[in-house]
Order: sequence, then C-alpha cells, then structure tokens
Amino acid sequence: MAALLVNKVGASAGPAAGNRQSGRGPGGAAVKVRGVRDSDVFSLQGDKVPRLLLCGHTVCHDCLTRLPLHGRAIRFPFDRQVTELGDSGVWGLKKNFALLELLERLQNGPAGQCGATEDAIGLSGESIIRFYCTVCATHLCADCSQLTHSTKTLAKHRRVPLADKPHEKTMCSQHQVHAIEFVCLEEGCQASPLMCCVCKEYGKHQGHKHSVLEPEANQIRASILDMAHCIRTFTEEISDYSRKLVGIVQQIEGGEQIVEDGVGMAHTEHVPGTAENARSCVRAYFSDLHETLCRQEEMALSVVDAHVREKLIWLRQQQEDMTILLSQVSTACLHCEKTLQQDDCRVVLAKQEITRLLETLQKQQQQFTELADHIQLDASIPVTFTKDNRVHIGPKMEIRVVTLGLDGAGKTTILFKLKQDEFMQPIPTIGFNVETVEYKNLKFTIWDVGGKHKLRHLWKHYYLNTQAVVFVVDSSHRDRISEAHSELAKLLTEKELRDALLLIFANKQDVAGALSVEEITELLSLHKLCCGRSWYIQGCDARSGMGLYEGLDWLSRQLVAAGVLDVA
Amino acid sequence: MLVQVCLYFYCKCLWRCLKFVVRKLTGRCELQRICYNIKPGASRTMKIETSLKGSKTKLLQTEVSVHPDAIEKTIDDIMDLKKINPDINPQLGVSLQGCLLQIVGYRNLIAEVEKLRREPYDSDNSQHEEMLLKLWKCLKPNSPLEARISKQWCEIGFQGDDPKTDFRGMGLLGLYNLLYFAELDTVVAQQVLFDSLQPKYRQVMIEAWEKVSSDQSYSSCSYSFAIVGINITDLVYNLLVSGALKTHFYNVAPEAPTLSHFQQTFCYLMHEFHKFWIEEDPLDIMEFNRVREKFHKRIIKQLQNPDMALCPHFAASESLINM
Repeated sequence: MAALLVNKVGASAGPAAGNRQSGRGPGGAAVKVRGVRDSDVFSLQGDKVPRLLLCGHTVCHDCLTRLPLHGRAIRFPFDRQVTELGDSGVWGLKKNFALLELLERLQNGPAGQCGATEDAIGLSGESIIRFYCTVCATHLCADCSQLTHSTKTLAKHRRVPLADKPHEKTMCSQHQVHAIEFVCLEEGCQASPLMCCVCKEYGKHQGHKHSVLEPEANQIRASILDMAHCIRTFTEEISDYSRKLVGIVQQIEGGEQIVEDGVGMAHTEHVPGTAENARSCVRAYFSDLHETLCRQEEMALSVVDAHVREKLIWLRQQQEDMTILLSQVSTACLHCEKTLQQDDCRVVLAKQEITRLLETLQKQQQQFTELADHIQLDASIPVTFTKDNRVHIGPKMEIRVVTLGLDGAGKTTILFKLKQDEFMQPIPTIGFNVETVEYKNLKFTIWDVGGKHKLRHLWKHYYLNTQAVVFVVDSSHRDRISEAHSELAKLLTEKELRDALLLIFANKQDVAGALSVEEITELLSLHKLCCGRSWYIQGCDARSGMGLYEGLDWLSRQLVAAGVLDVA
Repeated sequence: MLVQVCLYFYCKCLWRCLKFVVRKLTGRCELQRICYNIKPGASRTMKIETSLKGSKTKLLQTEVSVHPDAIEKTIDDIMDLKKINPDINPQLGVSLQGCLLQIVGYRNLIAEVEKLRREPYDSDNSQHEEMLLKLWKCLKPNSPLEARISKQWCEIGFQGDDPKTDFRGMGLLGLYNLLYFAELDTVVAQQVLFDSLQPKYRQVMIEAWEKVSSDQSYSSCSYSFAIVGINITDLVYNLLVSGALKTHFYNVAPEAPTLSHFQQTFCYLMHEFHKFWIEEDPLDIMEFNRVREKFHKRIIKQLQNPDMALCPHFAASESLINM
C-alpha cells in the first residue's frame, strides 16, 4: 500500500469549487495535498494517473484497479467511504487534473513559475470571468485561462466562453453519484419526476414509463419558447391597446400638438378635443334655441300687443260713438223739453220735427241693441300656444270628441259631470247626447253615443271629423272587459279614426274591487292594440270627477302639440 | 232690469190694493171669489195655489205643504182667519178642501216618486227580482226566460244581459212603471212591444223586394221597448217635478193624486209616444232624442191649457174617464 498516494482535495474539486471563485485555478491553494510520499508514484499518463474519489482522496489508477470491488463500488481503505463506479469502472473516475498540472510544472522546472501563478491568481482576482473549462468545471478569467491551462495536459481542456457554459449535471437526491438522466412519465410521480439510472432500474421509479431528460427538457423549453412567443404577442397587443387608449384620451382632451404645415415647418398648435367640440356643439344648439325662443317670444308679444292695441282702439271708438250717441239723445231730449214748454200752437207745429226725432231715436236704439247683441264685452284675452310657439288669441277653439263605450260604462255620467259638475245617474242613452264643454280656451263638443249593442253599428256616423275618441271602460265590471276589448279593436280599424286621438277613461275607480289602470291596460292589451297612435289611459271616477280633467288636459296637450289648432 | 223689479213690486202693491178694494166691494175674500167664479179643476186649484203662496199671512203660505190629515183643521183655520161663516158658505169649505187635497197630494206624489226613483234596483232583493221576472212574463207570456242573466232581455229592449244596469237613472220607478204598463195594460203593451221591434214600413217593402234580411237594417227604425220606457219615465218624472203635470192631475184626480195616477199617465204617454214615433217616421234610432224633445214640447204645450187632461183612451184609465 505504500504506493498508494492519497491526496485530499479541500471540499470537492468539482462543483463545490464555486461558480464565483473567480480565477481560482485548479492548481491553486484549493488543492490540499496531505502528503506526497513519492512524487514518482503518479505519472501524467498510464497506470499511475491520479484519479479522484468521491471522498476527495486521490488514488493512482493502478491502485484503484487493485482495490476490491463491492458490487459496483469501491471503498477507500482509509476512511471507508464508498465511491460508486459507472459502467466504465475505474476508467470512469475523473483524473485529478490539479495534481497532474502540479506534476507537470515540477517536471518542467519549478523555479519562478510559482510566483507567476500567484501573480496570476492575484491578478485574476480582479478580473471578470470569461471562460469556463468544461473539464475542470471551473470559471476562469482570460488571464487565468492562459496561465492555469498553459501546461500540456491542461491546454487540451476545452474552454468555452461563459455564455456557452454547459449546465452542470444535477445529481440524484437519493444517489448522489448519479446524475439525473431520466424523467418519469407516470401520473403519480409528477411531484418529483426526476430520476437517475439507479432510480430508473431499482429505485422508486422501477418499471415506470420514462423518457430521457434532455429531450424532455428540450420539449419543455420549446413549449416555454412557444409560450414566450405567445406572451410577446399578447404583451404587444396590450401595449398596443393601451397606446390606443392614450391616443383616445388625448383626442378627447385635446391639447397642444406638433403639426407640420404645408411648407414643412413644424409648430405647435392647439388641437381641440372631442369633448370641447361636443360642448361647443351643445352651446351652439342652445344659443340657437335661445335666439329662436327670444324671437318667438318677441313675435308672440307683438301679436298680443297688436291685439290689445286693436281691441283698445276699437273700444275707444265705441266709447266715442257712445258719447256721440248720448249727446244726440240728450239734444233730442232737450229739444223735446223745450217744445213741451212752448204754447199749444208751436207744439202742434213742432209735431213733424218731433216725429222725425223719435224715428231717428228709435233707429238708433235698434242699432244699439243689435250692436250689443253682437258684441260680447269681455276683458279677458284668452291665449293659446301652438306647436311652434305661436300665440292664438280669440274665441275658444272647437274640438270634436266622440264618447264611446259599452252600455252602462258611464259615458253620459262623465259628460254631465264635465258639463254641470254634478253627478247624476242618467237614464240609458237612446241615440246620443251632445254637449259642449269649455275648458282652458278649448271648446269640446262631446258627442255621447249610446252604448247599447244595437246602436254600436251606428257609431260610425259620428266618426267624421272627429279629432278624438274617448272610450269609456267600466273598471268594476270584469266580465265585460273582453267585450270592451273587441269593441275597441273594431273601433281602431275604422278608417275615419285613423288619425284620431284615443283617450281611455277607466271609469268607476271608486268602486271597491275595481280593476286598476295597469290591469285594464293589460287586459285590453292596449300597447299592442294602439300601437302607432297616440293614446292615453286615465283612471277616473265620474262620481267625484277625479281624473276627468286630467284626461281633458291630455287631450288638449295632444291636440295643441299635433298642430290641430294651428291657426295662421 | 231695475224697471222690471219696480214693475214687479208696483204690480204686487197695486194687486194688493185692488184685492182690498174688491174685497170691500163684494164682501168676499179672494179664496171665496175663486171658488165661486171658477169651475172646479186645474184652473181653480192652480189659482188657489197661487193665491195661497202669494198670501201675506204665514199660515196661508205654509198651507200648501201641510199634511193631508190636517187639512180639515186648516180649512177651519182659514175660515176663522178670513172671518167667513161656514154655515153661510158651506160650499166653500168643500171646494177649498178638494183643492188643498190636490195641492198637497201633488207635493206628496213628487216625494213618493222621488223616493222610488232614488231606490236602486237590488239583485239581492227578492221582491225586485220577482217584479222583473213578472215583467218578462207579462210581455212575453209565450217564451219562458231561460236564465236571470240572459241575452233574451234584449228582446224586450234592455241594453245588456242584465237589466239591472239599465235601471240606474230611474231606479225602481222605471221598473214600477214598466210593470204597471205590462200588467194592467197587457194588450197595449204587447202591441207596442211588437211594433217597436218592427222595421220601418218602407224598409219592410224594400226587404220583401230584394229578399234581403240583414240584421242591421232590421233594427233601423225599431226602438228598444224597455229603455224607451225608462226614458219616458224620465220624461214623465220631469213633467211632474217641473209642475207641468199639475194641470193634468188637478183635472183628473178628484182628491189627492196617487202613484197609480202617475203610472196611468206613464202608460198614456208611452202609448202616445209610440204613435208619435210612427208619425214622425224617423230615419233611425239616433233621432230618438230629437223626437223625444219634440214630443216633450208638444205635451208641455198641451198641458198649458188649463182644461187639458191627458185623457187616456185605454183600459187602465177607465176610472179617469169616468170622473
């Protein structure tokens, strides 16, 4: 065993040498030789090549071959640590290149070299790692690479730029000497799919489906690359969108922008945003509206003024006329009195004159009464507005309305309530009633036609020139709603009523258990039935008059809005 | 206006003075003069009524609204007040009593009719229901009513399936009148009903000619018996309330007019209206109100004649003719 040279390397020469131990050459202080019994024991080649064991000891190849094999492993005789051997047996163990290098240096003439090495180390301590020796698995700076691998043995080592550094092989957690080479494909092992050859053959992944690590990793890499690609496009999309958002915000807000004019001179210019545009648009619209309204107001006021002036002038004229008439009459009176006091002869003589006077007086009186009959003295100035805000002054406008509905719905009651503001139980209407109801400068001529079944075909005689139809429904009589519905449907198909407004009075709302307006709307399917015409349903009760005037309000609003009352 | 008021007061004062003078001259009071000079009937009763109303004595003013039972006593009071000896003028008391009975009776009749009119038809009241069914039986004895609520009601001229709704304005009064007409004047009522369902004569001709019978033309001149009855009830009621019927009642009722007098008047007017309708020959039912108005005016004009009695010529009114 004397030939056995043991060389212990601090920690491990391999991976533990540290990725960042910049410039620490394999031949540096990191290698701790316990004792070199015989420097001749090792040779650079052949049987005496020093090989490293797992425990860190260095043994020559020859001795190693002679060590007894324990299965596929050998045991170092001193510390009895086990080193697994690969398929190639002892040949597979790494050479101790550090030692080899030292040996080589010793052979070539040791003087001066050492310092240089130390210098190199000192120098390299500050340098940047550039290379990686794939054989020694060390990081080297440019100088170190030169210095440390200058020897013949080491010069053969492949050194690659750091970027191309091969990945270190990960060792199996269970079998430290074996690198991970395979990936288990079993479902149950996805938590720890990595395995070395031992795991694959004997360990926990025995018999499992597997694949080789590298292609698997490459596959994953490929998928990651794919994903990265996807992510890149996605990111691009997002950024594109956010760019657009920014652009739109800018467009809305507006602001300073660099614009190139025709000559090619760039200058900043204030570009209005869409918000500003919208605001100015609204402002313009309303100022326009204001103007129109002002103009219309002016016009309307002038119309009123003109009307008032005319009326006043006429009234003054009348006043004057009356004064003249009065004076004429009093003159006549005076004359008569004078005549009275004269003696008989003169009275007789004056007879003719008196008769003439009387005649004129009578004529004047007749004229006066005629005038008084014709003209109604009325201080009121009733004003109505048309759709385009013109005013209408004058007599109440007449509107023709027909009231229809089933018998007993309350048509006549409503009519009389509107007319005389009194509730009365009417007798069944045979034929029709017609009344005029004045309301808000409007004069409704309401035709109330009997609702008896036999009369219904005669309703159509009342449609002509009708501006509105008032359909009265008895809300308290559920059974007759369907009958009302069919009548209403028939009514709405009439050609003459095509343009007529439709006001529906849901009468008798005061009766307990009466259908609500919404229910009646539903039951009569008004939305469907009255599609495309202006209609309105108003709950009312003719007893108290509730709702009736609201209905008329609606009618008058609609009629005014529809321009029916348009007067030139 | 002022002149009119002055005139009115002047007349009133003058009238008072005149009355005083005449009384002094003849030795009779106004009531006596009326009773002796004017023949019994509407003219006398109406004069008495005006005289009593225009009297300056409170007692006489309230006379017209006294209870019928207290009339004899009030007659005595009047005799006392006017210092008339009942023994010398026995006729006066009797005449005055007759007049007063008529005046008071007329007022009570209005109240009675009004009460009936105000009472709505009640489907839960068996008495009302019975009357309604009886009306059907009298008018349509040959075809039984299938159900209480039925389309058949339209056959006798109601508007819908349930006649109840048609009685809203006139209440029970309408039903009473119709029933009275149908029950006591069955033949005439049935005839009127039959005629009311007939189309116009000339339309019958056309139809026969063209062999067309459509429902619409069929109903063009016919009218609805029952609701026309209710309308005529309204007409009679208005005549009664306005006082126009006084002439008639004072002429036909020897004492206080009663509800049956009213109903007889209704029957008569119903019959008259029917004749009038046929005479007028209206185009369709829509002319009803015009015809009714014309009829109303005609009746009022007739009643302005103080000797006028709406003398019915049919069975139910025989008692009236006899008086």
